[in-house]
This record gives sequence, C-alpha cells and structure tokens, in this order.
Amino acid sequence: MNYSFFLPLALGFSWILSPESLVIAGNVAGQLGWMSLASLAGVLLIFTACSRLLGNSHLPAVSSREFLILQRGTGSIAAATLSIGAYLPLTIVAGTALLVTAGYTFNEVFLYWFPNFGFAFLLLALLTILQFFRQEIGLQAQVCFIGMAAGGLLLLSLYGVIGAEKAVAETAQQPGSFSPFSATLLLLLFVGCSSSHKQERGPLLLIPALAFLIFFLWMLASLYHVTPDRLASSTIPYMTAARKILGEPGRQIMGVVIISGTCGALNGLMILTRKQFTTLAAESAVPQFLSTRKQNWFIPLFLAAIIGALMATGLAGNELLESLLRGALILWLLYYTFLCLAAVHLVYKASAAIPYPALFCTLLLMAGCITLLVGDPHRVQINVFILSVLSASGLLSTCWYLISKHNKHERKLKEKTV
Amino acid sequence: MKKLLVLLAFFLFATALPALAVDVPTISKDELKAQLGSPDLVLLDVRSGRDWSSSEFKIRGAVRASGKEFGKWSQHYPKDKTLVLYCA
Repeated sequence: MNYSFFLPLALGFSWILSPESLVIAGNVAGQLGWMSLASLAGVLLIFTACSRLLGNSHLPAVSSREFLILQRGTGSIAAATLSIGAYLPLTIVAGTALLVTAGYTFNEVFLYWFPNFGFAFLLLALLTILQFFRQEIGLQAQVCFIGMAAGGLLLLSLYGVIGAEKAVAETAQQPGSFSPFSATLLLLLFVGCSSSHKQERGPLLLIPALAFLIFFLWMLASLYHVTPDRLASSTIPYMTAARKILGEPGRQIMGVVIISGTCGALNGLMILTRKQFTTLAAESAVPQFLSTRKQNWFIPLFLAAIIGALMATGLAGNELLESLLRGALILWLLYYTFLCLAAVHLVYKASAAIPYPALFCTLLLMAGCITLLVGDPHRVQINVFILSVLSASGLLSTCWYLISKHNKHERKLKEKTV
Repeated sequence: MKKLLVLLAFFLFATALPALAVDVPTISKDELKAQLGSPDLVLLDVRSGRDWSSSEFKIRGAVRASGKEFGKWSQHYPKDKTLVLYCA
C-alpha cells in the first residue's frame, strides 16, 4: 500500500468528513440514541449494495461512467440536468456554510483576535489558488486534509470509547425512540461516496465501509459522553462531545478536524465540479469553455466568486442557508438514486437478470429522498430550491443540446456540399 | 493622479461613516460580567443563521432575538430594564 492508494479515497470522503456531517451524526445520535448505530448499519448496507451495482462489469468502465450510465438510462438532457444539479449547488452552498463554520472554529478555538470572516475568506482564497496547480497537487492536498480530519476524529473516538467506563453510567440508560425521518437523515452522511478518483471498483466499495466505521465509533463515543438530549439539541454536537471526551485538548483536536474537514470538503467538491463539467463538455452536454481541458481557471474562479459574494452579502447569517444546504444534499441523493436506477436498467438489459438486492436498496434510497422532501419542517423552501436548480440546469442542458444538434447538422450539410 | 484622488476621497468617506451613526451606548465585557444574573438585565443574542449556530460561545441566560424584527420584540420589554444586545 503506497501514497497513491489514498488518492481515490480522498475525493469520495470530501463531504463525508465535513463539519456538517458531524452535526447530522451528532444530532441523529441524540435523537435515536443507541438505535442510531443500527440505522447507520442499515444505511451502510444500502450504499454498499448501490456501490456494488455501480461497479458491475456490464456497465461502462471509463472515467465518465456515471454520466454514461445516466445518459443511457435516462437520456442526454435528463443526465446533464441531474449531473449539473448534483455537484454545482452543493459546492456553492456547502462552501459558504462550511467556510463560516471553519471561521468561527478558528476564532473561538485557536486565535480570539483573528476575525472569523477574515479566516473564512483567507481559506477560500487559498483553496481557490490550489485549483490552479496541477490536479495531482490538489489531490495530494486532499489526502492531507482528509487524513488529518479522519485521524483527529478517530483519535477522539477511540479515546472516548476506551475511556468511557465512568461516562457510560451517566448517559447510557437513556433509550432513544425511533423516528424514520431522523434515521433517513443518516443517508446524508454518505453524500459523494460514489466520487472516487478514477471510478475504480475497490474504492467504490471501501468508501462507504470506512465512512461507516468512522461514524460508528464517533457516534458511540458521543453517546458514551454526552446525554442524548444535549446531542440532539446542540448546533455543534461535535464540539460538545470533544470537550467532554478530552477537555481543552479535545476542543483543539476537534478544531483541527473541523478546519481540515472544511478544506477537504471545499477542495474535493471544487475538483469534482470541475471533473463533472469536463465530462459534460466532452459529451457536448454543456459549452466547451466549461471544460478544464480548455481553460483551467473558469470553474474555480466562478465558484470562488459566488461563494465569496454569498458570504459577503450575509447569507451565513440567514436561516435560509440551512434550507439551501439541505436541498443541495437531497439533490445529490436524487442524482445518486437515478444513477442507480439507470444502472439497474442497464444491467438488466445486458444480462437479462434483475439485480434484486441493488434494486431494493435503490427503492429504499428513493423512499429516503421522499421522506427528506416531505418530512423537513422547511420543506417548502427546500422543494422550491430543488425545483429552481433542476429547472435552470434543465433549461441550460436543453438549450445546449439543441444548439449542438443544430451545429452538427450544419457541419454535415457543409461536408456534403464540399 | 485623478484616480488616486477619487480613491482617497472614497477611503476618507468610508472611514468617516461611523461618525454619522446614531450614538448607541456600548458595554464592556467586564461591565457585563458584573451585571450578569441581575433581574434588571435582559441579554439578547441577535446573531442569526450560522453566525449563531456555528459559535461555541453562547452566554447563559441570553434570549435569542432577530435583529431584523427589533420593532416587534422591543415592545415586550419594560422600559426600566437594561437591554444588552450582542451580535459577535
């Protein structure tokens, strides 16, 4: 095993180790108590079955396989619409939210005198500059970010689980009650898990398994040390748990986890968005200038400008940001669900056998999406956001599809005339 | 040269803006600390969204209030109470 072994994994973990995932994990652990661990195992089974399906030998084995699967299963326009909707809004909205969280963490844990927004903008500038180097450098940085976040979290988790004898007596007796909506929220922990570097089969299966292990240990340690009520109601359950587990050093380790997790999430999502647009441009689903092969600077600068503008105009201080973030996460889950449905269809067409376990898990994913769409208290805002994104990306895809078709037709006519 | 003068004028105007603001009394950290727990003190946390949710530091006993809805909630508190608003 060498350094390059971790490269494919690092992109898949972009979102998984973000501060927001830790908030969801902490809140759900508090809401469901020990049952959250069983629910997490159920979610692992779903994503493992779907990952196995996407690695099926009957499906295309190229780097743009996700788009090709969607295109063959749902058609060009739907594939482009879903692909644009999966990563672009997530990168913009999550970038805004996570940078603000990282800014507060740096200010409150490490340097009181350093302005939180100053740190958020500094991080945005550094991560944008990173995109201008060769992609390998961005990927190596990604491995460092994810490694630091995972290492810190595992350290706190193991310390929390091993040194838990005393804490268990205080917190373990409180059973949690089961809520389908809370259990469904755990699906959002695995967002981006299909995004390995070159779509190798190994990492596709390894990412959900490793994510499960990390979250299982962290939720276990949190439940050992913090009462479920407190975990469920906290807006920063990760910091509450870290402080209970290891005191001030625990806070500082968690500070490193949050900042490196934010860097990993934004760097990874920026790389994935660029990859997505390069694939779409290669398939003539979006204009060619959006491809990194044509120009390396457009997408990172565009993303940084939007994120910077959203932070500067005060979106971080608006409750709407949480709804937009939830909407962006559900959009990725919808994309993944349709990707799996298309894969089931293609596998059935190629082998004349229905992959029942994968089909069942895909239907569960679909049910999960519906539960998240109708069960959220801010469902109106979330649904409006999702509809707006899909309409905008659908319009762009349709227009570009028609323009490409027209251009091809013109070219053919010219060739005939010549 | 002209550009430089415009830039200088803009800078001076921007730095002078706080002087045009209404004079609102402020309270230092130590003064507030001394008054914490007093029945005459109402502590209002006017941070919203992530500014509030991402912060680890929340003063015990503070009530959340939206800065945008000042007109609504300011009527509920008696005039003889000291209202302290904090946003960072």
